[in-house]
Parts: sequence; structure tokens; C-alpha cells
Amino acid sequence: MERVIGIISANYETNDLGCLTQERTIASLPYGGRYRLIDFPLSNMVNSGISTVGLITPYKYRSVIDHIGAGKEWQLDRKNGGLFILPGSLFGVTSSEARFMIRDLKHNLVYLKRSMADYVVLTASDVVYNMDYREILEQHIQSGADITMLYHEAVEDAPHDLGLELDGNRVTSFLHGIKIGQNIFRGCFVISRQLLMNIVSWYNAVDFMDIFEALEPELGKMDVRAYRFGGYIRTINNIRDYYIHSMDLLKDDVRKELFSHENPIMTKVQDSVPSKYLSGCSVRNSLIPAGCVIKGTVENSILFRDVEVGEGAVVKNSILMQHCIVEPGAVVENAILDRNNVIKTWTVVKGSPDDVFVMDKKTRKSKE
Amino acid sequence: MKKMRKKEILAMLLAGGQGSRLGALTKTIAKPAVSFGGKYRIIDFSLSNCANSHIDTVGVLTQYRPYLLNSYIGTGSAWGLDASNGGVSILPPYATETGGQWYEGTADAIFRNLNYIDLYDPKYVLILSGDHLYRMDYRQMLKCHKENNADLTISVMKVPMEEASRFGIMTADETGRIVKFAEKPKQPESDLASMGIYIFSKDVLKKALIEDSTDESSDHDFGKNIIPKLLAEDKRLFCYEFSGFWMDVGTISSFHETSMDLLEAEPKFDLDDEDFPIFSNENLSPPHYIGPDADIQESIVGNGSQIFGSVLHSVISVDSVIGKGARVKDSVLLPGATVEDGATVTRAILGENSVIRAGAVFGSEDPKEAIAVIGDDFIVEEGGES
Repeated sequence: MERVIGIISANYETNDLGCLTQERTIASLPYGGRYRLIDFPLSNMVNSGISTVGLITPYKYRSVIDHIGAGKEWQLDRKNGGLFILPGSLFGVTSSEARFMIRDLKHNLVYLKRSMADYVVLTASDVVYNMDYREILEQHIQSGADITMLYHEAVEDAPHDLGLELDGNRVTSFLHGIKIGQNIFRGCFVISRQLLMNIVSWYNAVDFMDIFEALEPELGKMDVRAYRFGGYIRTINNIRDYYIHSMDLLKDDVRKELFSHENPIMTKVQDSVPSKYLSGCSVRNSLIPAGCVIKGTVENSILFRDVEVGEGAVVKNSILMQHCIVEPGAVVENAILDRNNVIKTWTVVKGSPDDVFVMDKKTRKSKE
Repeated sequence: MKKMRKKEILAMLLAGGQGSRLGALTKTIAKPAVSFGGKYRIIDFSLSNCANSHIDTVGVLTQYRPYLLNSYIGTGSAWGLDASNGGVSILPPYATETGGQWYEGTADAIFRNLNYIDLYDPKYVLILSGDHLYRMDYRQMLKCHKENNADLTISVMKVPMEEASRFGIMTADETGRIVKFAEKPKQPESDLASMGIYIFSKDVLKKALIEDSTDESSDHDFGKNIIPKLLAEDKRLFCYEFSGFWMDVGTISSFHETSMDLLEAEPKFDLDDEDFPIFSNENLSPPHYIGPDADIQESIVGNGSQIFGSVLHSVISVDSVIGKGARVKDSVLLPGATVEDGATVTRAILGENSVIRAGAVFGSEDPKEAIAVIGDDFIVEEGGES
């Protein structure tokens, strides 16, 4: 295989995830019962044989570093290559489409300069998918393109995403905001290391721009192509995306693809005990990690570790993050409870399917 | 050889035993590698005890079918035991210029690794068995050893008098000093049973092992030979009385019974203790999934499992699959076991990656029948085992 390094960009924010990203970044948003969003691009890199990965950190990087550490769980704590922390600039991009700010690459140019790699795979950290990047890399090399961008047909309207107008696999222009069925850019592209460094120096004066914002006027001159990913791939832009695409995991085929045995999604390992189901509980169509204790009813829901559902309590169509406690008789429906929430006995917390109720993260009470 | 930084104490963990009474479960792996409690392996308990007791140097002595054990322990990082000065070292039997030999007994195994112990020049050596389930802070035991100015401290626990003849039984005076030791006595004098956990002052251990090694009549066993020898020499042997849960899951029925107890609302052995966690080298499985028509009661379930049928009062270890219409009751599924659609499993232990084919019936409700067991990778077809 050609020599390839990776860059994962996590330096961008959105207000559309509300309190879920108040104390954390999108990259460290908990997802799927035991993961965080960044686990997907990071595991994809490693599963694709890319063992040198630079992570452009967001300004609020505590939660990301806490999760990734030295990259041990991804076998990135290596003597050669491994994980490189690339500090993102203070003002992360906030434009809804922007994922790859030129300044972040400029400030970390030494990562690119020191490398001997021919190609760089760059990815965003808010996309859920399980992909072998060797597919896109192969097309990129064979086509001789300057840049190859990953896309998929949008499954719903995405007014804040970047779309691709295609002629064959050539990208002829960008769309800003797209409709269902149009080609949506999924925050991943391949480029030669040399060209990436050239772009950073050409656009030195406008380094606050996203790389595709800068390149948009050049589309006629550059050979920019697209690669279609055929599997499950979703971007988490807002609370609705988060809720719906979390619930996708209750479908057998989505779960099977995302959590493939051959290409496992890796994450920080905790030491919770296996979950316990007590007499009288009723659990259906739910995803449950270790450390939970279930005495009540759980349906169509996703729990994170160490959640407790008391006797006679009901949890339906909801996402409960780590250390939430639903006390006996309480009801949680169509809701997202961030970490450490305690729903008191007989309390009812209800949203509607179209407008889920979100409860912000609490501080865990120390044990008495 | 270059000396390592000196340690106050190091642990020697005996993990070479076959555990032959566990039958099919230890056909391909050593007893310490047998899965327990949904996500653990038996050796996790003693390794976690070491980690939680801040003992950072652990020699693991392996012999019987060591491959899984070796790969499972790896660098020891899962237990926080990957240190450049110390950490986990796997110590298999080895050859020297005069040839090689298997470990011939517990004392012989330690004797052959005196070089390893000398490398760290510890004051005390903790000797453990890797096949017991318990949670213990060895620092308390060490404190007791020091206070008594002991040569050897043996961890003991009270057992029912009628069971005492199964154990090594200590008779101690009022200060806790051991005055008599009897290995599996027919008429036990006391109810203090040895748990096979020893803290030796190193010099005493070394001298005893060297002398024992030349004794041709010796079985080179701590219980049978070393302890009686030290008693005869009037060395200072003391008891350390332990009162928590301790279990040697030596047989299929005790393995099954101990597993079933985990399902109680207040189990005798609670795996969940934030202050004293049991670590394990977990695989990277996703959360488990409970299907739309599943029914699950009084059970524990590990990551990666998929449950579409009915599960009552069972331990479902990581990566197990229970198909639609399948019924599992009073059973233990070890990692990766599959019960296909419509199959029935009752009072059984299913080995790792074993399969009960669709429609097959395995195990019996009848409490007079023995617990049904299939070993790792076995398949039970409809109409019988194959």
C-alpha cells in the first residue's frame, strides 16, 4: 500500500446540539451506548491500515483528550507513527459547512512536512460510519485526481451541509444546503501530501477559510473527484440527527454494519460489570452496555453504562447517558438525558417524537 | 543480570494448574483462563487484587495449556500492570544447561524462578493461586505479617466443621501463631482453612525452597512439604483471618452454583465495587441488544450479546447469541456461545463459542440430574450432541 497518514479534524462547533455540546465537543459526543463520535473516524483510520494519525483538537479539548489519551485503545501508542495531537486554533470554524480550516493545517504544517507519506486522508469527526478508507484511496490513485471527496445521497434535506454537483465522478460545483437525494459531502477526502502543503501556502493570506471554501473558485482548474460510499453513513449536525441516527442502531442491519467484527469500532475501555436484569423487568428492542441495573421497563431505547432503571419505572424511545438513574415509578419518554441525571420517583419526563426533551449534564454526586 | 529497582513485595501467581475437575471447561485452557461472571476470566480476580493492593510486580507461573492465558494477560495493561520496572512477567518452565523440566509442584515452580525474585530483591514474597474468586487487599495481610514479625503468614478463613477435611487446616494459639497444620485431615482439630495465599519473608522462603529442592522424598508442595518443614523448624508462622467471600470453583457444580448466585439482588460475591474494581482484558464488543420479542429476567448479560428469545435466571457472557423462540434457563453461556432459534437450554454450561443448533434440547430441569456441560467450540445438533 502507498504510504498514507491521517488527519482528523475536530475543531468546529455548532449550537444546534444544544446542551449536549455545552461541556464537550462534537467529537466527544457519546453515541451508541459506549462510544463517542470520534471513535468512528479514528477506528476507521486504524482499520484501514493508517497508523499515523494527527488529531486537530478543538478549543474545548478536555473531553477529547480524556477519551483518547495516548491512543492505546486504537493501538496508536506506537514507537513509529501513532497519534499526534495537533492543536487547533483558538477560533474554531463555526460556519455550518466548514470542517477543515486552513489555519489549523498551517499551524501544524510540521506534521505534514516531517512525514514521508504520499497521501493524506482527512476526515471530520461528526460522521458515523464504518469504512475502509483503502476504497477511496484506490480510486484516488487510479484516477490521478488532485482531490477525492467522499459522498453519499442525502437521506433527508440538509440545509447546512456541503453538496457536490457531479459530472460522472468529477465535482463541477459545490452546493450550499442540499435536498434529499442530492449528493452530500461526508467530511472525508484524500489528497497528496505535497498538494495539501501547497494549498496551505497558496492560501496563507486567507487561512481563516475552510479548505473547500478556498478551493471553490478553482473547481474548473483542479481535478476534484468524488467517491460514493455505499454503506450506512450519517452526519450528526443537530439534536434531531443525534436522536434519529442513534435510534438507527436498533435496526439489525445498521448495527451489524457499524459494529462489524472484522473492523471493530474501538473506544476507551471502562471496567463496568455486566448488566443485571432483575425479576419483573421488561426490556425490548434496546441497546444496553455494561454496568446497568434494570428492574423496570425499557423499550426502544439506548442506555449508556451504569444506568439504573428502578422498579415500575418506564423508559421508552429515549437515550440515557452514563450514570442516569430513573427511580421507581418514574417515566422517561422521547427524551435524551445527558450524564448523571436522576429522575425522581413518580416524576414524568416526556418529549414528543418530533421534539425530544433534552436534559443537560449534571455533576455526579459523590458517594455518601 | 541487571538488578531492577528493589521492591518491598512482589507476587508469584500460580496459574499452571489444569483444574481437571472442571472437565470440559478446561480441556483446552488452564483453569485460571476459564471465563466467569459474564466478562471475566478467573485470573482477573487475583490480578485485580494485586493491582488494587498496589503490588506492581507479578510473576505468573504457567504450564498447562498456556496460550490463551498468555495472550489474555498480554502486557498486563488491562490491570494497570504494564510497568517498565516490574509489571507482569509470564514465567513458563524453561531449560538450562543441564536440561529442562516441568514444574513438579507449587514449591518447585517458585524454586525454579528464584532468579526472577532475586532480580527485584523484595523483602516479602506473596504467593497466590490464580484460580480463586475473592476480593482481598493484600496490604492488610502484609501489615499483619510485619506486626507479627512473621516468617510466613497464611491467609485462612473459617469453614463449616463438616467441610474442614477438604482443606489444609491450621491450629493457632491465641496470638494467631500457627502451632499445627494438617493437610486435608480426617478429624479436623480446627475450622481455620488455608486459602493458599502466603506471604513469606524472602530469606526464609529462599532457604526453605533450596533445601526442599534437594529432598528426594518431597512432593515440592507448599501445603504438604514447605509449611510442615517450617513448623518443624519452629519458624514464626501466623494466620491472617479473612472473612469475605472466597471460592475455589473447583467443580462443575460449584462453578454453576457460584455463577447462579451472581444473579441474586444481593449476591454473596458482588462483582460491582467501585472502590475495588475487578479489571479484565475486555474485548471491544458493542453494547448488547435485546430484541423486540425477547424476555429477560434475573440474568446478567455481557457486551456484544444479542438476545431475541427468552432468558431466565442465567449468566449470558459477552458475544453470546440467543435466537428467536429459544429458551435459556438456569444456565451459564460462556463467551461467544450461541443458542439458535427455538432451542432449549436448561441447567447447563455452554463452553466458549459452542453452538446449540435450532430446535435442540440441552440440559434437564430435574435437579437430580448433573449440570449439562459442553466444552469450547462444541456443537449440539437437534437430537443429540456431536
